[in-house]
Amino acid sequence: MQTTGNTITALVLALGACLAMPVQAGWFDQAAPLVVTVDRAYIDVYSGPGRGYPIFHALEKGEQITLLKSRTQWIKVQTENGTEGWVKREAMLATLDATGQTPDFSDASRADSVAGSFEVGAGFGDFGGADSTTLTLGYRFTQHLTIEARYAQQAGKFSDSEIIAGGLTHQPFPDWRVSPYIGLGAGRIKIHPSATLVDTVDREDSVLQASLGTYVYLSRRFFMRLDYTNHYLLTTRENNDEVNEWRVGFNVFF
Amino acid sequence: MASWIQRFLLAGCCLAPLAASGQSDDPLEPIVGADIERRAISEDMLDTENFEIGVYGGVLGIEDFGSSAVTGANIAYHITEDFFVEAIYGSSDANKTSYELLSGAVELLSDEERELTYYALSLGYKMFPGQIYLGANTAFNTHFYITAGGGNTEFAGNRYASYTLGAGYKLYLTDWFALDVGMRDHMFSHELFGESRNTNNFEGRLGLSVYF
Repeated sequence: MQTTGNTITALVLALGACLAMPVQAGWFDQAAPLVVTVDRAYIDVYSGPGRGYPIFHALEKGEQITLLKSRTQWIKVQTENGTEGWVKREAMLATLDATGQTPDFSDASRADSVAGSFEVGAGFGDFGGADSTTLTLGYRFTQHLTIEARYAQQAGKFSDSEIIAGGLTHQPFPDWRVSPYIGLGAGRIKIHPSATLVDTVDREDSVLQASLGTYVYLSRRFFMRLDYTNHYLLTTRENNDEVNEWRVGFNVFF
Repeated sequence: MASWIQRFLLAGCCLAPLAASGQSDDPLEPIVGADIERRAISEDMLDTENFEIGVYGGVLGIEDFGSSAVTGANIAYHITEDFFVEAIYGSSDANKTSYELLSGAVELLSDEERELTYYALSLGYKMFPGQIYLGANTAFNTHFYITAGGGNTEFAGNRYASYTLGAGYKLYLTDWFALDVGMRDHMFSHELFGESRNTNNFEGRLGLSVYF
């Protein structure tokens, strides 16, 4: 019984520690805190990460602040006496780090910053008259090439379908804000004719995909994706089918 | 994001009591060491907290099929201080229609077909940021939001393209933990009663979200 009590206490303590920690800068504060010095007459501190939240404090010139985390274009800071609040990302340009330089908060080249990262996205579109929803998970292994897994569902008047596919896309101009790509893919499509029709049989076919589209970078890690895909269905019937799909979606790098 | 994954993995470790006590380092340790200061700072060194994950529960009124409990999960990515994108997935079970109840024996749908699941991807807009005050010393950040999007609803053995409109109120208990009171309207048209019919399926919900 004593052991159970101890275990529970330990668990509660551990859980408490877990819950308390995200408030701090990091879980295991091995990384040194990011400290900058204010280099402007003052910097406004807001109570929340948005311009509409009240300004409750001002940082003075020469004051040292610790950067805790960021959310969208806001950075949570802590002053030397422990006051915490949010400042605009641009305010970092009015600070100096330990080397006496302005911290690097400029937008790095998009292509450099996203190579080697994963992207996840979702999109909507028109799949030969049916409404389609697509989920994608990609890995950009060079600035130009992304390998991608796609899962899509279509809801049509006469049938529903699902596609699972893999593909590769190539962006010839990864530096452009609007960066076009071409893509190839292959997978399987499963078609379920609408249940209100009699005598329906599900069928499954292979599908080849050729895509043309463009990324539109909206922020550092977020982009819109416009896509046209030609699906070529290799059916077991006499004729193969061809379906055109138009899609708009949003993706995030992480 | 990478540091989030680190956190997540480390969360597992910290469930061991050892790690928990390892946290309590010397509290007097200076926050800023003299020798570690001389390095340049870049944005990538800063932990980002743009993702939000949450669970919710509430009541979904399924048109013609009564109201039932609904539970779901959501994940959101905050693009700017104003806009976010949100994916939601929820499930519920439809009740009997009034016709089924009155007629006694008629069953329009099997139990399996009564299960309703939906998902939607929406764009959201945060508005009216503010604070609420509890007593003299406590203030919580809040804001309203509206969302609009689309997805699929599976119901009665079919899949329907659906559109979702929503609104809600967020109360941040801490920076990374928020309470969400909201509503969504899931709209789709079906032909279960013979002719095509547009339905509005309102959902009232209460949720909890964690930012990471």
